[in-house]
Amino acid sequence: MLETLAQAVINGLLIGGIYALVSIGVTLIFGVVKIVNFAQGEFVMIGMYISFYLATQFGIDPILSLLISMPVLFVAGVLIQHFLIRRVLGPNDMPQIFLTFALSLLLLNLALMLFTANYRTVHTSYSDEAFHLGGLYIPVAKLIAFVVAMGLSGALWLFLHATDLGKAMRAASQNRDVATLMGINPNRVFAVAFGAALALAGAAGSLLMPFYSAYPFVGQVFVLMAFVAVVLGTLGNVIGALVASLMMGVAESLGIQFVGADSGLIVVFAMLLLTLAFKPNGLGGGRVR
Amino acid sequence: MASTSKWKLPALAVLVVVLLALPQVVRSSFALDIFIRILLFSFIGVAWNLMGGYAKQLSLGHAAYFGLGAYTSTIMQVDFGISPWIGMAAGGIVAMLASLPIGWLCFRLRGPYFTIATIATAQALMLIFLKFRDLAWGAEGTTIPNLGSSPLMLQFETKASYYYVVLGLLALGLLITHRIEPSWMGYYLVAIGEDEDAAEAIGVNAPRVKRDIYMISAFLTALAGTFYVQYIYFIDPATAFSFNISIEAALVSIVGGIGTLWGPVIGTVLLETTSALLQSWLGSSIGGIQLTVYALILIAIILWRPTGLIGIITEAYRRHLRHKPAHT
Repeated sequence: MLETLAQAVINGLLIGGIYALVSIGVTLIFGVVKIVNFAQGEFVMIGMYISFYLATQFGIDPILSLLISMPVLFVAGVLIQHFLIRRVLGPNDMPQIFLTFALSLLLLNLALMLFTANYRTVHTSYSDEAFHLGGLYIPVAKLIAFVVAMGLSGALWLFLHATDLGKAMRAASQNRDVATLMGINPNRVFAVAFGAALALAGAAGSLLMPFYSAYPFVGQVFVLMAFVAVVLGTLGNVIGALVASLMMGVAESLGIQFVGADSGLIVVFAMLLLTLAFKPNGLGGGRVR
Repeated sequence: MASTSKWKLPALAVLVVVLLALPQVVRSSFALDIFIRILLFSFIGVAWNLMGGYAKQLSLGHAAYFGLGAYTSTIMQVDFGISPWIGMAAGGIVAMLASLPIGWLCFRLRGPYFTIATIATAQALMLIFLKFRDLAWGAEGTTIPNLGSSPLMLQFETKASYYYVVLGLLALGLLITHRIEPSWMGYYLVAIGEDEDAAEAIGVNAPRVKRDIYMISAFLTALAGTFYVQYIYFIDPATAFSFNISIEAALVSIVGGIGTLWGPVIGTVLLETTSALLQSWLGSSIGGIQLTVYALILIAIILWRPTGLIGIITEAYRRHLRHKPAHT
């Protein structure tokens, strides 16, 4: 019993690391650019297909291929911010919500047309390997994904706190007008934030590929999880999103272990509804919006 | 304005006559099916627009009420033999009641997070109907018994009859919108849509106004749900709570003209016609093409004309007036 519990917690933490990459991206865009990117999950999907094709066409290891998927998605993010998002920034919610929502719809259905709805998997030498610690079972692919995800999250945190550009981003997220007066170019800051968020989503996709199937709708699972984690962890807060994502992973895993194999989504919705009912400002408190 | 109201009534009369005569002239069942879809999604759009358009509470979870309406009437008909006409009204009331707790939860958030919460509630409802087989046939769903021609059970032999039913629903939705628009309620809704904090500061009871309009919007959406499953003779959770219903409800309003009486109708005519044309050109073989095109239209509207097609039409009309010598 105790071992089953420990195993479920470990499984949850490992997948929670991937959720964290998606959530941090969502919360970074929300904190800095002040919009919710409904298409974040689709960039995880694109990251997965990039790694899938690099692995099957050129034999590149999916985890190594994040060195390609991350820069590709960073550039995509900068371009999307510059040509699309920048045009709808303003006090009005409708264009912002439905522009990123339309983007999600577009990417998802383009993927359906280009790649069909088939599930794609990549089998690596370490896909079936696992460490055994006592009675516990730790799959190598998931452990690598978790460690790299934590490393990238740490790198982002360092970037936000130790570099001038990162500090400029945090300043812009606290008060855009004052930051502009201090000589920070908001467009540059927004573009970097959007690019970085998409790069994290791309990394999540590449890290998933050794143990998860790619299909056009795959991003929806992750983006829903990320939205809940971002509300739970207080909107716009990077550390909060990280902690909440790990919690979500554990909650989902416990649900699968003790309620039923397909109860993962029910747990997610239950957590979202409970959060809204009792802690609408997130566990850390703070403002709604 | 005086010159516009002069031709407004005759234009409306012509429109009504054309719409009433249409099924008598057009006999093709394929074409009638498209007309029925246009009227149905216009009606869903009108229901969405009351809350989403005027008060800018951008829900992507209206499938919740569509599904509740559909399931209420179907359960009443299949299990108790009650006419779907009564079931339709009952479904509306169930949806209205359901909108109270759902609204209580979702209205705690604003802007995009309100939208996300509405998505989650609709998906959660779908999961409930998928999981609990005892409640309503689980994932397989059920076919609705075909009774032949029995108008009292909302079943007809000709598509034309369905056409008139859904035309009546749309007329009801437009009438309600027309009555609300110039009322205090209408002004409150627009005030909330413009700036909720400012509206509250000048004394608008925003939580109550939002709750009331959500109830009306949910009620109307549920009527559409009952009609739809009676029309296709089949119900399952994936159809009744389809995310595509939520998407289309919002899309037709935004593309046509958000927060306007005729916006959802104009938007539906464009989107459904496009979809029908795509289908006849390409066949239904290419999955995803319809929503790809919808997404491109939506992006184009948001970037170039956030007021929607109605905005484009009125601008063109004004330009036309300006170039004409003024006379009264």
